[in-house]
Amino acid sequence: MAAVAPPVTLPPELPTEAPLSSTPTSPATTEAETTPESAHAPVVLDVRDLKTYFFTYDGVVLALDGVSFKVRRGETLGLVGETGCGKSVTAFSVVRLIPDPPGRIISGKVLFRGVDLLWGLSTEARIKVDKKTGRAKIRRSFRRIKAGLERMSAVRGRGISMIFQEPTQAMNPVFSVADQISEGLLLHQGTKMVDDLLGATPDAPEVRPALEALVETSHGNDLDAIRRASAKVGEAVHVPSFETQAFYLVRNSELSSEDLLKRLMRSLHRIRISRIERSYLRRRRRLMEIDDQLHEVYLGEMREGRVDRRQRRILRGRRTRTRLAGFYFGIWGIRGRIQKPLKDEGFWRTVDRLEEVSIANPVQVARGYPHELSGGMLQRVMITMALSVDPVILIADEPTTALDVTIQAQILELMRDLKTRIGTAILLITHDLAVIAEVADRVCVMYAGQIVETARARDLYQHPLHPYTQGLLASIPNLERPDKKLSSIPGSVPDLIRPPSGCRFHPRCSYAMPMCKEVRPPTTLEGAEHTVACHLFKGPLAVE
Amino acid sequence: MLNTPGIPLISSYNLRKYFPIRGGLFSTRIGDVRAVDGVTLDVMESETLGLVGESGCGKTTVGRLMLRLIEPTSGHTYYHPSPETVTRLESLYSTLQSDASPPGNGGATVEGKAALKELDEIANQYSLYRMRKSKMKELRGKLQIVFQDPFSSLSPRMLVRDIIGEPLAIHHAGSRSERRQRVAELVQEVGLNPEHLWRFPHEFSGGQRQRIGIARALALRPEFIVLDEPTSALDVSVQAQILNILKKLQAEQRLAYMFISHHLSVVRAMSHRVAVMYLGQIVERAATEELFSRPLHPYTQALLSAIPIPDPTLKRERIVLKGDVPSPAAPPSGCRFHTRCPAVMPVCSHAEPPLIEVRKQHWVSCHLYPPPGGPGTPTPPSEPLASDGPAS
Repeated sequence: MAAVAPPVTLPPELPTEAPLSSTPTSPATTEAETTPESAHAPVVLDVRDLKTYFFTYDGVVLALDGVSFKVRRGETLGLVGETGCGKSVTAFSVVRLIPDPPGRIISGKVLFRGVDLLWGLSTEARIKVDKKTGRAKIRRSFRRIKAGLERMSAVRGRGISMIFQEPTQAMNPVFSVADQISEGLLLHQGTKMVDDLLGATPDAPEVRPALEALVETSHGNDLDAIRRASAKVGEAVHVPSFETQAFYLVRNSELSSEDLLKRLMRSLHRIRISRIERSYLRRRRRLMEIDDQLHEVYLGEMREGRVDRRQRRILRGRRTRTRLAGFYFGIWGIRGRIQKPLKDEGFWRTVDRLEEVSIANPVQVARGYPHELSGGMLQRVMITMALSVDPVILIADEPTTALDVTIQAQILELMRDLKTRIGTAILLITHDLAVIAEVADRVCVMYAGQIVETARARDLYQHPLHPYTQGLLASIPNLERPDKKLSSIPGSVPDLIRPPSGCRFHPRCSYAMPMCKEVRPPTTLEGAEHTVACHLFKGPLAVE
Repeated sequence: MLNTPGIPLISSYNLRKYFPIRGGLFSTRIGDVRAVDGVTLDVMESETLGLVGESGCGKTTVGRLMLRLIEPTSGHTYYHPSPETVTRLESLYSTLQSDASPPGNGGATVEGKAALKELDEIANQYSLYRMRKSKMKELRGKLQIVFQDPFSSLSPRMLVRDIIGEPLAIHHAGSRSERRQRVAELVQEVGLNPEHLWRFPHEFSGGQRQRIGIARALALRPEFIVLDEPTSALDVSVQAQILNILKKLQAEQRLAYMFISHHLSVVRAMSHRVAVMYLGQIVERAATEELFSRPLHPYTQALLSAIPIPDPTLKRERIVLKGDVPSPAAPPSGCRFHTRCPAVMPVCSHAEPPLIEVRKQHWVSCHLYPPPGGPGTPTPPSEPLASDGPAS
């Protein structure tokens, strides 16, 4: 994944077994050819005609029914809609986290930089729907499902990472914050961490003077001076994370100069790698390398559309041999001790990352457990976790819904800041149109499992075309004109087991025509980058 | 303290509610969560008072206290107080305030002691918290509440008919057939169909359930309803439906609402007056237009600037508060907002600012706005902090 995948030829169509041909779905609009997106940044995520169904006792829930959208590099795409319209299902489908059973992605393409994440999906299960009862019988091939999930590990994290809705529920309560963040760091930047540790020079001649200079600065209470001095220390020992450790040791200490110097010298012990630790680290690094190579192979497979069995076999064999050769490191009692340098490295790197999201006391937060932190703080930790590996795409599923307005403002500010700094593309999912207006560049409006309108944020709020979008915008209480009577959309979101025929919005639409009941409206292009699926508009067909 | 023009329907004075934290040996009281700490509020007839604040600031507790769903630690609430009582109470409380007595304890001076004694007498007569059970039960019909979560506030084992009819049955309102008729009426009023009466709550969507909750609150023709975040669990389109129903009912039945919400735009759309709470205290209280166009307290300003506006063309300067709300178990000394305040001064950390009328009917508790001629006034700022209220 390290290399940027060039826009490659699409994987050839696989022989599909016509899954679910008998379900009552309207014929999806065919979006075949790709148009050149020359004027814009490259598309990093291209979702085409995605269909995700849930097979329940009551029948098949058509949660996503032909969803298509694109996310470009460095862009924020907002996905809005009411509860139960399939926003979260879209997010989970993209990273393939749909719980199976009951849910399954039926068809479609999720192209992440030209790599089809859903490749091989149609071979994973065979679905037969009983026409009378509406229930489905699914025969799964667990070997293929497992292979598909394994391939996804090449993309999750470094490629696409995710912030979940409830920060309190998304974190593991039995591990400390540092453990949970450094797990991701170790998986994705492990080789670099090991390299840093192996290249440490704790006993170099310039370390002692640098430390003494650092101790000198501790009296001045000048944070900048301490930071500069600790940066020197970090350079001297060749471990960047030691800089963080030294900084916090000095900043928080109330010791005398001599004691502080002693304390610093003792902390140097952390990066003094013993022989057995060194051999462990080397072996660990080898394993990480092989895993990275394996991920490259998986990406290649998804891009080319065929399994490279030979490469896989070689790499897996090598991985097994490396693991076996280092089996004695796993012996209880040795394990904890030899892993200590790597764990500590992870801890201090976490502290460094937490500082970036403006957490006031990152050391305490990193040591703490999720229940000790407030909602806003936990959401920051989640964001740190998601962004610590510099993902290409960040999927934020209602990141601020559980938070207060003041904390929400903090988090949105933070996300905007990080976007400009790292250049991550963000897929922001929320039901709050105001939040979308604050941060999104483009917006997709979803209704009952379909995207009804896509436009640039400014266009959407100024000229909403689809009646549903108009209704949504009119129902927000306006802070500027509070006296205006709120208009509301009559009725509620339809049952997706038996969705309305034709346009799914027609039972609630005030412009409904006889045609709306019969025909699903095609997505048409109305103005630059403004597409809408409604019979009221007769523009040219939008070609995705 | 209040001096609100109009006839108060319900007024609360100096409400306090401390929840004990138990721990240690024999689970003794080791501390208090000061959920509500000296809140004085009134709601006029057929008026909506908005109560805004972040989560954990004590909004809901105030709502429950005013209905006596929980007993306060100290303070009193008067329902339909006579104008004489109100004037008497005002003067007594202002005596106590100048007396600088610790809350709830004996006055420092002779006047203070006398005032306390008289307050006690008035409370014995009229206070909601000193009423006998039978009297209270009568009043319960007039004081109602709509709960936040429509999914947990309706019994899953009762038919909608029984849920809405339960208050009528408890209060023996009319014969059985009359009650049935009233239930049918109520269901129509909140925009449900008569066939919905024979269904269970799980068969409804969130918006419909909230309608059932409203119908139940309306059953006994109340005068005052506490709306505890009635729309926070709902989608915007459905939220608009519910808000419209509430407004319609208010106009038809001259209801008074206390609208508790953390959503400022909703509060603005609904209320006549707004009170802003922070950590168990009211920091600002004013008419809605006044508050939103001229927010004075730094917290209100930050809160207003934090609301996202649904219009990407409008970009504005925003005050982003640092940090989280401090724990109400150990609130900061002095002004409770001083730990996060962008305009903090040395006074703020030790002296608690009183709630004073800075402009007409605009009450603020902040050292930036010193009482006229008060002692020890810090340099008054010529202008309230860069006003970030949306320019109207």
